[in-house]
Amino acid sequence: MSLAELTAPWQRFNYGFLDESAKREIRRKTLKAIAVPGYQVPYASREVPMARGWGTGGLQVTLTLLKPSSVVKVIDQGADDSVNAVSIRKFLRRVGGVAETLDTTAATLIQSRHRIPEEKLRADQVLVLQVPDPEPLRAVEPDISEARHMHADADYGLLWLKLYEQIVRSGRIMEGASYPSLVNGRHVISPSPIPRWDVPKLHQADNLTILSAGREKRIYAVPPHTDVAPLAFDDIAYRVEDHAGIACERSGVKGYFLNELPKGGGASVYEMSDTHFATKHIQKREGEAVSFGATYYRKGSLAR
Amino acid sequence: MAYAATRGGEEAIEQAERLYREDLAPLTAERVAEVRRTMPYLVDRVMGEASLYEPDLAALALVQTGGDLYEAVLLLRAYRTTQPRLWIAEAVRHADILTVRRISAAFKDIPGGQILGPTLDYSHRLLKVGVLDGEPDTVAPVTPSETPAPATQPALADWQREKGLIEDARAEAVPLEEIPDVTRDGLLFPAPRAHRLQTLARGDTGGMLALGYANMRGYGPTHPTVNDLRLGEAEVRLRHPRGTVFSAGRVRVSEAEMVSKASEGGKLQLGFCATFGWNEVKTIAGATLDLSMHFENDYPAASEEFVLYHTEPTEASGFCIHFKMPHYVTFQSSLDALRDANAKREAHPATAPETPETPDAPAPAPELEEMPS
Amino acid sequence: MRATPLPLARNAPQLVTAAPLLAMTGVAKRYGDVAALTAVDVAVHEGEVLGIVGESGSGKSTLLRMMNLEEIPDAGRYTLDIAAHRGANLFGLDRYERRMLRVREIGIVYQNPHDGLRMRHSSSGNVAERLVITGERRFGELRRRAKDALIASDFPIKRMDRPPAELSGGMQQRVQLAKAIALEPTLLLLDEPTTGLDVSVQALVLDTLKRLQRERRITMVLVSHDLGVIRTMADRVMVMRRGAVVEEGLADQVFQDPQHPYTQQLVHAKL
Repeated sequence: MSLAELTAPWQRFNYGFLDESAKREIRRKTLKAIAVPGYQVPYASREVPMARGWGTGGLQVTLTLLKPSSVVKVIDQGADDSVNAVSIRKFLRRVGGVAETLDTTAATLIQSRHRIPEEKLRADQVLVLQVPDPEPLRAVEPDISEARHMHADADYGLLWLKLYEQIVRSGRIMEGASYPSLVNGRHVISPSPIPRWDVPKLHQADNLTILSAGREKRIYAVPPHTDVAPLAFDDIAYRVEDHAGIACERSGVKGYFLNELPKGGGASVYEMSDTHFATKHIQKREGEAVSFGATYYRKGSLAR
Repeated sequence: MAYAATRGGEEAIEQAERLYREDLAPLTAERVAEVRRTMPYLVDRVMGEASLYEPDLAALALVQTGGDLYEAVLLLRAYRTTQPRLWIAEAVRHADILTVRRISAAFKDIPGGQILGPTLDYSHRLLKVGVLDGEPDTVAPVTPSETPAPATQPALADWQREKGLIEDARAEAVPLEEIPDVTRDGLLFPAPRAHRLQTLARGDTGGMLALGYANMRGYGPTHPTVNDLRLGEAEVRLRHPRGTVFSAGRVRVSEAEMVSKASEGGKLQLGFCATFGWNEVKTIAGATLDLSMHFENDYPAASEEFVLYHTEPTEASGFCIHFKMPHYVTFQSSLDALRDANAKREAHPATAPETPETPDAPAPAPELEEMPS
Repeated sequence: MRATPLPLARNAPQLVTAAPLLAMTGVAKRYGDVAALTAVDVAVHEGEVLGIVGESGSGKSTLLRMMNLEEIPDAGRYTLDIAAHRGANLFGLDRYERRMLRVREIGIVYQNPHDGLRMRHSSSGNVAERLVITGERRFGELRRRAKDALIASDFPIKRMDRPPAELSGGMQQRVQLAKAIALEPTLLLLDEPTTGLDVSVQALVLDTLKRLQRERRITMVLVSHDLGVIRTMADRVMVMRRGAVVEEGLADQVFQDPQHPYTQQLVHAKL
């Protein structure tokens, strides 16, 4: 027996960059997160060749799920061409040799920062959301040990109080993105800083969503067909951003979440935030053959 | 499949990196060797914060990043995390360290002696500007002592323990593979002692200094004194599967033990910090933090969670620079709520929020009350 | 001088035959070498106001914190005659059960409003938080019930959305009181509720407490070092010294005819 027989041939990096022990830990923690929907599972969170806060949590999950047959889509703020999305996609290509796509419907694995695509994800797709701050209680209780007690007790009175105070002071709930939401009737999560527009997409979804915070070292999940309810009073409806009636400047399409672009003279134009979805509409207008997936929203309202 | 916009993004980041690299001198083995040879304290600092003892790689990281410390530490950390954990070294004890410098401020003289060793502490910090004009810098050679200091020294804490001054806390016998490893486990609070000391060992020198200094100035529960401060080299001893222990090499280490002046239950308390490389300021600050965290207190800079989270160099620096990334989706979401609230306010000036309410009850009789102070 | 406490039976009320709402027996607590409480027994009947008087360090506030399950003694039993936990020693509940019991069944007003209120949230929100914890999810209902509780506490309702930090000491105590009674608690605990207030304000807050007691027959335990406050409020009095009960009886009886030398000293110093 020689040493060469006992060892694998030398390679610069393991497939998917992370070593197998790191991947095994993440798989185990992810399974636990799926088993207890919305519970934040602590994990070691290895360093990756990107700065903390730049999607390292999502990246570790993506790297763990990666296989040569994966078709990957990476978006940042809804855009495939945002520089950090480009950088992550380039890294995945380098260490995983995977196929890439811009088309939501063609992807098997989607890593996203701050958006859920407008086209409905299917049971055979996994969404990985990058999370800067996994703790919905942070604003009301910065001490993590105390916050863990509060989750254990399902003690969310302070979050409700925060919403109450906003209505008293401003006449409405002022939460923007990262809207605190109750998962499976038990744990309140931060759905990552997706806009309020995207939160209902998590409710009873067909796909698995994994949320991972690299810097804060927490993984949590919304399994398929799980209740997700944004915290809202029974007599004051949850409101998504008022974007339904505005048309996208690029595609002319109405009824989806938008980016506002300030223009001279106090004017604004709006573009669809899900950029490739808009591109598909442009292609269709120009006579190309494109296929669309089902969408969560139809004519600006949730389609259920 | 890919659209022009995407290729454009890829091209942009490629060019941005090239621009950055063009400003730096070429990356060569000679320059790396030069940094390793001429800047040992800098190399030590990044090795400590990276928790990877490899002077060549540390020097490479420094040259590759043009000396950006946080980038260099990140490079090393990302390299380290891919390396298998092959073996766990035997514990290093005070008395095993081949000590080149050893100070205690608590006593004039101590068992084993005070050893000044290499230091700038008592030197005048004058820039040698003449060197820039071509003057040679001459340093007289060291005169060897007639009685060289012993290579190893006992721990002062052992003497203090014998005298009943500090708690007779002996290390628990933990199998090596069961020592918690903060790079392989999540960090939870209260942290196991191993996690705390490991996190301090990898901590950001500047961040630990800031919080340690806050404690020293009074934003903390302790008034520390240097009990035992050492620079030295430690053998990395491994146990062969057949049972023999052998040295795989030596690493430079620093360690500091700080002692409280205030006693608790008649005993003095010790704080401890050790790190790879020679980095006195970090270990003194770290041992002060360890000492402060021992006491019940309300100071953020002496709270374990506050200290350990906020002195993590990779996490702190990464999160700080992440704010450069686009946040227009979250901004738009908040803007939407703000505009709507403002529109409501304009539509119904001076009225209470439109909420279902019962009519106001008659105001109670005015009450004689003191004004709020 | 008789140092041993009097037999309690001699002063116990004769007419009450129902089981007490609150019963504590053999409650003892040490802090290091200091005995904070030594085998204290307490019984409070429904609708009754028990006053606990004693100097600082007598153990009266520790005892109140135990009634609120904020602190657990080294030994002793504590029962409340309520459906969910009838007969059970409440000191044996876990942290979560203690918290829920506290929210649903016990209201407390602390001497220092910082201990009982979120000073930067609105006053109405302070009351509403308690309602929300028990599952109320209608904003309108939270407003209405917070308002009712504040009105019942004689809080000037126009200021209901001002934070306690901007209110006077008397008002802050009224917010605490509203929070304490919002869920119509089984037991209302008052820890020096008027200490530190101006005398005129103190009288008004006591008026409110008396009215609430009369209208709602709330069972109260009131801790004070001020005999005047105890005398105004309490039906029955317990005198504590050095962690033990030295005398107990109907308020009039204890004040008119104190038996224990320490009580005599207290009463005479006051009069």
